[in-house]
Amino acid sequence: MVGLIASAVLLSGCWDRMEVNDLAILTAGGLDLTEDRKLELSVKQYLVSPSSSDQSGSVSSDAGGGSGKSVVRSSRGLSMADAASHLQQVLSRKVFWGQDEVFVFGQQLAKEGLAEPLEFLTRHPIPRERANVFVSQSPAKEVLGLDPPIERSVSHALRKMAENETGLNITLKELAEMMAGRSRSAVIPWVEIKPGDGKQAAFAFIKGTAVLKNGKMIGRMNDAETRGIMWLRNEVKKATVTVSPGESNGLVSLQLLRSRTDLIPHLKGGEWSLTVRIETQDDIVENTSELDLSVPDHISELERELEDDIKRRIQMALERAQKEMKADIFNFADAFYRKYPKEWNRNKDRWDEIYSHLQVNVQAKVKVVRPGMTNRSIFKPAQR
Amino acid sequence: MGKSNGFWSRRPRSNQRETERFAHQEENRQLDQVLSANLAENVQALQRLYTRCSDVIFHEFCIGNRMEAVLVYIDGLAHIEEVDQHVLAPLQQDFPMDCTLADIRGKIAVSSIKPVDTIAKVLEEISGGNPVLLMEREPHGLAIGLPKWEKRAIDEPSAESVLRGPREGFIESLRTNTALLRRKIRTPHLKIVTMSMGTYTSTQIALAYLEGVAAPALVEEMTNRLQRIEIDGILESVYIEELIEDNPFSPFPQLLSTERPDMASAYLLEGHVVVLIDGTPSVLIAPITFYSLLQSPEDYYERFVVGTAIRWLRYFFFLISLLGPSFYVAVITYHQEMIPNALLITMARSRDQIPFPAIIEALLMESMFEALREAGARLPKQIGTAVSIVGALVIGQAAIAAGIVSAPMVMVVAITGVASFMAPRFTVGIAIRLLRFPMMVLAGFLGLLGLIMGGILILNHLFKLRSFGAPYMAPLAPMQWRSLNDVLWRAPRWLMTKRPHMTGAWNPIRQPRGQRPGPHKGETGD
Repeated sequence: MVGLIASAVLLSGCWDRMEVNDLAILTAGGLDLTEDRKLELSVKQYLVSPSSSDQSGSVSSDAGGGSGKSVVRSSRGLSMADAASHLQQVLSRKVFWGQDEVFVFGQQLAKEGLAEPLEFLTRHPIPRERANVFVSQSPAKEVLGLDPPIERSVSHALRKMAENETGLNITLKELAEMMAGRSRSAVIPWVEIKPGDGKQAAFAFIKGTAVLKNGKMIGRMNDAETRGIMWLRNEVKKATVTVSPGESNGLVSLQLLRSRTDLIPHLKGGEWSLTVRIETQDDIVENTSELDLSVPDHISELERELEDDIKRRIQMALERAQKEMKADIFNFADAFYRKYPKEWNRNKDRWDEIYSHLQVNVQAKVKVVRPGMTNRSIFKPAQR
Repeated sequence: MGKSNGFWSRRPRSNQRETERFAHQEENRQLDQVLSANLAENVQALQRLYTRCSDVIFHEFCIGNRMEAVLVYIDGLAHIEEVDQHVLAPLQQDFPMDCTLADIRGKIAVSSIKPVDTIAKVLEEISGGNPVLLMEREPHGLAIGLPKWEKRAIDEPSAESVLRGPREGFIESLRTNTALLRRKIRTPHLKIVTMSMGTYTSTQIALAYLEGVAAPALVEEMTNRLQRIEIDGILESVYIEELIEDNPFSPFPQLLSTERPDMASAYLLEGHVVVLIDGTPSVLIAPITFYSLLQSPEDYYERFVVGTAIRWLRYFFFLISLLGPSFYVAVITYHQEMIPNALLITMARSRDQIPFPAIIEALLMESMFEALREAGARLPKQIGTAVSIVGALVIGQAAIAAGIVSAPMVMVVAITGVASFMAPRFTVGIAIRLLRFPMMVLAGFLGLLGLIMGGILILNHLFKLRSFGAPYMAPLAPMQWRSLNDVLWRAPRWLMTKRPHMTGAWNPIRQPRGQRPGPHKGETGD
């Protein structure tokens, strides 16, 4: 009896077993649209074989820098699943998506629409939903082909850059949520390649944002506008803002400590409007102006300047998103739905129209908590 | 097999066995025989029993040069110098012709003298090292309590050493051991009941308990179980352990064995019973819980914060020693997505040229480790170092360099090895090490699912297990909040006001509350 049970356990076992050295560990996936409108899937496989890295002996230690550590393979297919299944034909080891860190979508594909590949990536259980997504200016295959000198692979480099919070940090899950959400608009970090010169290898970096509406890319925003998007989406974690206070001709830089953005929708008699309230706390990190920062009046003057600066940035992003692209990338739709669910449901078909005419009031409240380690600048005795 | 003409085939045939059994019965009848008034008859009977026993001495002499007497003793077991001085010398004086045994008894300057009247008693006393004096015209003998045999000195038990705390340990002599207990617990409530067991060895066994603290039902149960034992000989406490435990097939010990008198006393004070066996330094404690196997006397001798921290460290490494390699195998063969990216790449690299799957690698290394441990434990100390050198090479750098195992696996095995040595009781350490292998196989076949299945099986068994009726996993299952004091942390002395629920329910109060010390304690108005 015991033997029977034991054999039942053992007979079923093992079918899923896969040794790590039989796996093709994919760290990045890239999707492009080819000229004949097929989907091209490129993957970055990390090479783990000691023979391919320049190390002798079987005790390999560090992951180190240097090129030639990973290879890019591509396959084409009618759909994402088709391409993914063809991928195994060009890889000697078993395709393993479980460690995939980034997905890069080529510009062409993004313009054509990301809904189809995302359907596969969200339905299949293996790809990570926490993988970062990017849209690249050049074909995704080229981005994957880069070998950054610092990080162990381009996927890691891109992920780290996104996590630095200087630009947007969007994961696959967030992208799917945005695309399936009420606003049907999404933002994805935009990646460009800085071409290499003789001394330095080419590398990819984040530059602005791609804006998607209904799954298709309709435009992009530059870095400054991206900061505005981040303020509005309550995603600003780190920032250094430089203002030139009033009539003085120097500059004061402030570093953000914490910030909070609230979206307060109003609906009065068919009039849709929204108040954006931003509260931040900052430290002063540099002061080259004539202002003596030990004077409280000067601090409040600075705070007002900073408030204006934040408002200006937000207006800039708002202007483009609202008037030009008509894409609700700040998810105002959800804010309205949460406060006025019935009204929103009644009007959801004409949300695009409402959004483009939405009255947005921006209120910023800045508090400078610390003027830094010096009061009066020790290099500028003439400060008043 | 049966037809071979080896040693085993020459068993006595049945009629032969029959006669032998008859001979035994005859002998038993002889043992029950009462001593007769005829000295020569008694001596003859004894000599018949002790044929071909060169160490049994029959010393014939005359009391007061008139009455014939014989002193029977075993050479090496009786204290001959003392016998000469305090027994034989006084008996050389003049005695009236009609003096009785009682008169003689008064002349012998030995505190422990008792009369014996059957052959069986005589044999028992002689085997116990007490010389027996037989005398003409008396149907009794006198057993003189002057035994003496070689025993080692009391020293620190090497398997259970502590940094702080008593350094004495039990030894092979039962009386010394009971004295060690009695010296710590100086109350008449400490009961030490002695019984003799083993048809050939007649081993002395003492059951110790604290009256008024230990539940009478427990003492009764232990007595019953001990009395049920029928065995030819008892050479170590494990003979008894295997005959009285609740579940003989469990890998987990249900009785605690220790060589430390302080530990035995601590358990006595909590209402457990202790079984001491002559001839072995390890005593048995019952009932026990699973957690007591993970406790060291050191926990109680350190400050309670330190004791608690060490206890938790031990719990954590206990889990590692059970699950370490199997978890590694499961994750690396089935759940690669669980490993952080950088780590997976490092692991994949080191595994790249390894010919075996991870499960084979793990089984290989773990059995290698067990073999080394066993070899090191059994070898003489002089050769032991050679084993450790070879071992370090086999499950070390050389194995990796040879490309047979990967570096992470060596690390996992090493960590598991260290973790398993952290178990303060060797018995539980070895149980865990054995359970590790089926867990590895399960992990190799079914991944984390198998690990969970194995874990459920082990837990199921532990929750079902009982030690002398007490639930093994108490006080966690069944939950007894008060007793968790000694499981979740090592409560300070002033908080341990009650005995553990399982054994202390009979007399729960250990000490009064409110003894927490402080600078103003004892002052008025505070």
